[in-house]
Amino acid sequence: MIFRELALAVGISLKTSGLAALIASAIAVPAALFLAGREFRGKRLVLLINQTWMAAPTVVIGLLFYSLLSRSGPLGRFGLLYTQTAMTVGQVFLILPLIVGFSYTALRQVDRRARQTALTLGASRRQAGWIVLREARFPLLVAVLAGFARAVSEVGIAMMLGGNIRNATRNITTSIALETAKGEFQNGVVLGAILLVLTLGINLLVQTGLRGRDREY
Amino acid sequence: MSGIVYRLENVGFAYPGIPSSFSLKLESLTVRAGEVLALVGPNGAGKTTLLMLLAFLVRPGRGRLEFLGGDPWAGDDGAVLARREAVLLTHHPYLFKGTIADNVEFGLKLRKIAETERAARLRAALALVELEGWGTRSISGLSAGQAQRVAIARALALRPRVLLLDEPTANIDAGLVLRIEAVLREVGREWGTTVVLSTHDFSQASRLADGILYLSEGRRVEFSHENCFSGTASTDGRTSWIEPKPGVRIVFPGVTTGHVTCVIDPAAIRVLPGGEAASAPPGPNVFGGRVTRMETTDAATALVRVSGDLVFRAALPVRELEAGRVSLSREVLLRFDLKSVEVVGKRPADARKPA
Repeated sequence: MIFRELALAVGISLKTSGLAALIASAIAVPAALFLAGREFRGKRLVLLINQTWMAAPTVVIGLLFYSLLSRSGPLGRFGLLYTQTAMTVGQVFLILPLIVGFSYTALRQVDRRARQTALTLGASRRQAGWIVLREARFPLLVAVLAGFARAVSEVGIAMMLGGNIRNATRNITTSIALETAKGEFQNGVVLGAILLVLTLGINLLVQTGLRGRDREY
Repeated sequence: MSGIVYRLENVGFAYPGIPSSFSLKLESLTVRAGEVLALVGPNGAGKTTLLMLLAFLVRPGRGRLEFLGGDPWAGDDGAVLARREAVLLTHHPYLFKGTIADNVEFGLKLRKIAETERAARLRAALALVELEGWGTRSISGLSAGQAQRVAIARALALRPRVLLLDEPTANIDAGLVLRIEAVLREVGREWGTTVVLSTHDFSQASRLADGILYLSEGRRVEFSHENCFSGTASTDGRTSWIEPKPGVRIVFPGVTTGHVTCVIDPAAIRVLPGGEAASAPPGPNVFGGRVTRMETTDAATALVRVSGDLVFRAALPVRELEAGRVSLSREVLLRFDLKSVEVVGKRPADARKPA
C-alpha cells in the first residue's frame, strides 16, 4: 500500500467519522438535555428504544441504508450510495443513540440546583439549559469522543454504503478488511495500529485541553 | 414602606407527580416594598415552597400571585423579567464551576452590566461578606460557610428589588451570622430591598423582620396573639417588663422604656404539668394555662398552644410531652428564661402582625 493511498484512507476516516460525530452530537445533546430535564409519558420507552438501538450491529444499519439508498430504493434518485456522504449518514445513525445515552447520563448527574440557580439569577430557560451543558462539559465531550471512536472503528457501514472504492470511499477499517482478505496481514496490523494511534491522539488532545482549562479554576 | 411587591390570593400549590399529601395553601399575603418578612415554621411547613413561588420558579396551581401589580407569568418568557427582580438564595447554594468572581458576576453578565461596573459590584459584594480579594480563587475547596457567603455576595451584587433567602445563615459561623444580618438590614435601608427570609431561628426572625409569617403543614398559623406581646415598658434599673394585661408581667433583662413589642421563641418555652405547679419555684415569666391545641410538626417535636391569661405557643420535644403527660385540656405551667424574651424595639404593635 503506497503512502498516498494510506494518507487518503486516514483522511477519509477522519472526515467521515468526524463529521458524523459532529452531526450526531448536534442532534443527540439537545435530545439528551430534553430527556434529562423533562418528565413525560413514554420517556422510559424512549430510553429503552435508545438503549436497544445502541446495540444495533453496524451491518444491520448498513443494510437498512443500503436498501434506502440503492437505485431501486426510495432515496435512490439522489445517487448517494458508495459515497462518503452515505458513509457519514450511516455512521450518524450508528452513533446517535450512543451519544444520546452517554449525554443523558452526564446531564442527569449535573446537580439539579444548577438550573434552578441559573434561573433565579435571571437566566432565561434557554440560558439555563446552556449553563447545565456547561456544567457537564467534560462528560459530554467524553460522549462525543465515544461516538467518534465508534464511528471511526466500524467497518460494516463503511463497506456497505461506501463500497470500499480506492481513493474515494476506502477508509482505514475497509483497508484493513481488504488487506486481510488479500493475505497481507502485516499491512492490516500496521493500519490497525495507525487507527489506534489516531484515536489515542485525538483523545489525548481533547482531554489535555480540558484539564488545562479546569486547572485554571 | 409604600408599594405592594407581592399580593397572593387563595394561592395553592402541590408538587406534581410526587405522591405526597403536602400542599401549600395561603388565603392571602401582601408584602410591601422595603419590608422584611420572616417565614418561620418547622421542617416541611412550606417555607421553601413559598419562597420558590415568590421566586417564580414554580407556578401556583390555583389562586392569584401578583408581582408589582401584574401577573409575572403574563409574557411568554417564563417570568424571566420578574425573576431578574426577585433573587432566591437557597439553603445549600449551588456554585457554578469556576472562580468566585465567575459566580458573583454570573447574574451581572446575564444583565449585560458593563465590565467596570461589574468589577466594582464584585468588590463591593465580596467586601460585604468579608471575602475581599477572594475573586480569583476556585470554588473547589470552599467550606460550606464560605460557599454560603459567596452565594450571598452573588445575590447582593445584583442589587435586586426582592431578596428571597432560604435559611441564609444556616451554614455560617455564629460570629458571622450577626454580620450577615447587619448586611441584610443595610441593603434593606440603602437599596430599599424587600427581604423575605425563612428561618428556624425565631430569635433571628425577631431581630430582622418587620413581620413574621408562621407556617405549619403548608398553612398560615395565626401568630399575632401568641408569643408576641406589646406594652409600655417599666424598669427597676436591672430588668424591665411590660404588662400585656393588668398584673401579668413579661420580664426581660436590661433597661428599656417606651412602647415595645416582645416576642418569645416557642423553643425557649418549657412546660410543667399542672400537678407540679405547686412545687415549681416562683419567679418571673411563669404562666398557667390550659392546653388548647397540640400538633405534631415532625417526629421529634410538637407545637402546643396554652391559653391562660396570655396565649403561648411552645415547640416541645415529644419525649418531654410524654414524660410530663401533657395532653389536651390539661392545666400546665409555662416558664421561660428572661433572656429568651426578644425585645423588638419601639414599634407599633400591629407592625408585628403578618402582612
